[in-house]
Amino acid sequence: MQDVKIRNIIIVGGGTAGWMVAAGMSRLIQDDDIKIRLIESAQIGTVGVGEATIPHIAYYNRLLGLDENDFVRKTNATFKLGIEFVNWGKQGERYIHPFGAYGVDMEGLHFHNFWHRYNQMGQAPHIDNYCLQIRAAKMGKFQRPDARLKNSPLNSIVYAFQFDASLYAKFMSDFAQARGVVRTEGKITQVSQAPESGNVQSVTLENGDVYDGDLFIDCSGFRGLLIEQTLKTGYEDWSAVLPCNRAVARASQSPGEPEPYTRATAKKAGWQWRIPLQSRIGNGHVYCSEFMKDEEALDSLNKDLGETPISEPNFLRFRTGIRKKTWNKNVVSLGLAAGFLEPLESTSIHLIQTAIARLMASFPDKNFAQSNIDYFNSRTHLEYEQVRDFLVLHYHATERDDTPFWRYCKNMAIPDTLKNRIDLYKENARLYRHDNEVFGETSWFSVMHGQGITPKTYHPLANSLPEEVLAGRMVQMHRTIENCLDQMPSHQEFIDANCNFETKSIDKR
Amino acid sequence: MANPQQNALKNIVIVGGGSAGWMTAAALSSMLSPRSVSVTLIESDQIGTVGVGEATIPDIINFNAMLGINEAEFLKATNGTFKLGIEFTDWGQKGESYIHPFGGHGVDMQGIDFHQYWLHSKAGGNPAKLQDYSLCALAAENNKFTLPDQNPRSVLSHMRYAYHIDATLYAKYLRKYAEDRGIKRVEGKVETVQQQNENGNIISLTLENGDVIEGDFFFDCTGFRALLTDKTLDVPFTDWSHWLPCDTAQTLATERVGPLLPYTKATAKTAGWQWRIPTQHRTGNGHIYSSQYMKDDEAIEVLMEGLDSKPLGEPRKIRFKTGYRETLWNKNCIAIGLSAGFLEPLESTSLFLIQMGISRFITLFPTADFSDAVRDEYNIQMRKEFHQVRDFIILHYVATQRDDSPFWNYCRNMSIPDSLKRKIDLFKEAGRIFRYDDELFSKPSWIAVCIGQNILPKSTDPIVGSLPHDQVEHSLGTMRNAMKQATQKMPMHSDFLKQYGAAV
Repeated sequence: MQDVKIRNIIIVGGGTAGWMVAAGMSRLIQDDDIKIRLIESAQIGTVGVGEATIPHIAYYNRLLGLDENDFVRKTNATFKLGIEFVNWGKQGERYIHPFGAYGVDMEGLHFHNFWHRYNQMGQAPHIDNYCLQIRAAKMGKFQRPDARLKNSPLNSIVYAFQFDASLYAKFMSDFAQARGVVRTEGKITQVSQAPESGNVQSVTLENGDVYDGDLFIDCSGFRGLLIEQTLKTGYEDWSAVLPCNRAVARASQSPGEPEPYTRATAKKAGWQWRIPLQSRIGNGHVYCSEFMKDEEALDSLNKDLGETPISEPNFLRFRTGIRKKTWNKNVVSLGLAAGFLEPLESTSIHLIQTAIARLMASFPDKNFAQSNIDYFNSRTHLEYEQVRDFLVLHYHATERDDTPFWRYCKNMAIPDTLKNRIDLYKENARLYRHDNEVFGETSWFSVMHGQGITPKTYHPLANSLPEEVLAGRMVQMHRTIENCLDQMPSHQEFIDANCNFETKSIDKR
Repeated sequence: MANPQQNALKNIVIVGGGSAGWMTAAALSSMLSPRSVSVTLIESDQIGTVGVGEATIPDIINFNAMLGINEAEFLKATNGTFKLGIEFTDWGQKGESYIHPFGGHGVDMQGIDFHQYWLHSKAGGNPAKLQDYSLCALAAENNKFTLPDQNPRSVLSHMRYAYHIDATLYAKYLRKYAEDRGIKRVEGKVETVQQQNENGNIISLTLENGDVIEGDFFFDCTGFRALLTDKTLDVPFTDWSHWLPCDTAQTLATERVGPLLPYTKATAKTAGWQWRIPTQHRTGNGHIYSSQYMKDDEAIEVLMEGLDSKPLGEPRKIRFKTGYRETLWNKNCIAIGLSAGFLEPLESTSLFLIQMGISRFITLFPTADFSDAVRDEYNIQMRKEFHQVRDFIILHYVATQRDDSPFWNYCRNMSIPDSLKRKIDLFKEAGRIFRYDDELFSKPSWIAVCIGQNILPKSTDPIVGSLPHDQVEHSLGTMRNAMKQATQKMPMHSDFLKQYGAAV
């Protein structure tokens, strides 16, 4: 039998995507026959700015077998309970999209149906009072879930991280290199392809060195060195529904204790992020160049920085969309080489992580079966579409009409998949999670409700509980959450006790 | 925001008894208070039901649990037995057989599916069959049964099961359940249907005796006739008989003899297949075939030859057309059961599709002035359900090497839905199977049928290939021994049933 085993894997580009896949493969492929090499050039910068994540990153960390405190300490990380959205539905309004659920589901129905009913019965407290994560975020508190506490919301705290993406890449790089991944410094100047198949055969560096490979992972960022410049795969443009195409990022001094949440504030022609790390704040203004000039965008960023900047502004350009095939021939693209969705819901690292998992599940041999590639591509595409829909919701569900940008967003045509979902919620507060999508019912509810979509009515079976019983349970839930808050340490206290960035040097002694 | 009470449905009418009608009635009665909604079921003793010995899949346990039905009581009332899977004989090739068990095979390791390890080990000369690593299949082969252990570390946590029941008795049991909870049963035959002029919604039904039953929401559970869906609302039927050409069944009960098997048998025949479903007192049999390829007389002969005990009565003929209605919810009416569509019972999905029709309705529970968004969502979700089941059934016919009859020659060469083709192609390549969109039949089911019918992948997972041979063999051996020992300790199915839920 012909030997079809893949022996040489070449990863092109060493940002977050490149080192994540290197780390993942170094852990999962326990085969001395398979060599993994990552080529990166110190001359080419990475996009990495302050990066926020979603809770699924815990799976990746577990897969790698990381010690979480060690990881937090080395990446200047803080904990994240959700995202605060300011000025999205209307100017002056704000809400938090939490990672954990609201209240407790009853009678097989989602909690929000009961809250709607309770609200109708009289004066229900704000929905936020039924979500421990939101309350804790606002009070600057954090702790990990405590599984020993039965029947307490404290046993189901769901969290993610906010960290320095360059330090994260460094962390992954150390992990991968300790497990046999070879790092090669150099700039790729030439790519050669097999004559019949068009598969990539080798890459040549500036210094003349040639590296052959069986499988190439393109993590070269927006330019897509292999997937686009070599293979001319093509790009599906989604800027009609997500028109922002520029960002300017800048770090600022930390004003004090870091908040355990990310903030996304809507602005005239886009929005601004604020990601608190242990020792500084990451900021960035995402905007649409058709509606705003670069200078104005920078002014606006500076004005809303709040604290003294500690780095020069870094301008980025992008186009929202996805590569027509994220896996083409023997090249798999990851990260920005695969596609771009703005970081409004912190999905960048998640999309890298799931693509790696999918690649490992579909790990090819040298025949590169088309059915295998087609499967990978269709699932990746679906996943990007699902995230896209959720992002579009934020722009579309708005009453803002104060700028041409917002008038455009409010009136633009949206994908049918999203339209159906909004219509269904408006009708009777029903929400579904489709096809294993990353954002579940809590997330869809949080944003729809937070941005002012009110359903005509709620689920009729929510009326099955007698009024007194419902009122009693609602009061009890509210009280339980307040009691939990009393026991939680502040975010800073938790970090100091477990994983302080500044104390790193002491550990090394 | 309005309280849903203001526009609440007040009068729900179910037309037709049988499994679909009474499952719907029972589920609604468990959810709704008779003070706020009246639910009426109209059925006629003159119209028979199709109900034969019925095999189910594990999801029915959830349905019964939703209703709060006690399992032992249910088994007694329905003459029920336990089912651990289906034995398929003569499907891939004549003389071969395999079990499609509930529950998976072996244990996944390092994030890689178990069957990849098995394929690797088989290539290295291990003669053990895939089903030797399935606890349900082992128990089935030995006529043993026990309930699953809740402790996830116990081998017995791998047990999954469903039931074989008498569907007529199940409907009777649910009727009592529903009537006890305030459902009104009206005896009578629907003569005419009245619709609103502007929007075509159904407003009332007139019975033979002149009584008028009004309603604001209707369930069409009238079986193949589809009285409301087809006759009144004229909803088009999508025909799938080019993929599933069987269109007739001959059914016959036989005396119960021999050991009580905890599994269904499905044996392929010249132009179709024959089922064997063991209930406590008798055995249900049926021969399903394509009338294009076989005459009724011959089909009856085949049926009789395939029986293993004395017939009770004469064979009964049932005609059907495979396919479904793309929109199951039209106007203010939902079709549930055979009025919604028909897929042959090869994988025991009939009651499951009824159950899904009901539970989807309950999660979407509309007000009287519901909008298209609600109806569309229901139809989209149900459509997916039917397509997924359809593909899995077609797999059994297309994955065959039989060329001994024109029927099998047709099936082997027919063009199949793209969704199924992609799945088979991917499996052929390196044995990969993925579960889409929470589909009913998950990985282990696809693997059992693909491998059972000789679709062997060209290569296996490259990562498994790189693991040390001894280590893989050792893991497999340990699993197999643990399952064998657990099976030996289990009681016989008939003994277990005797002390647990024997009918009088």
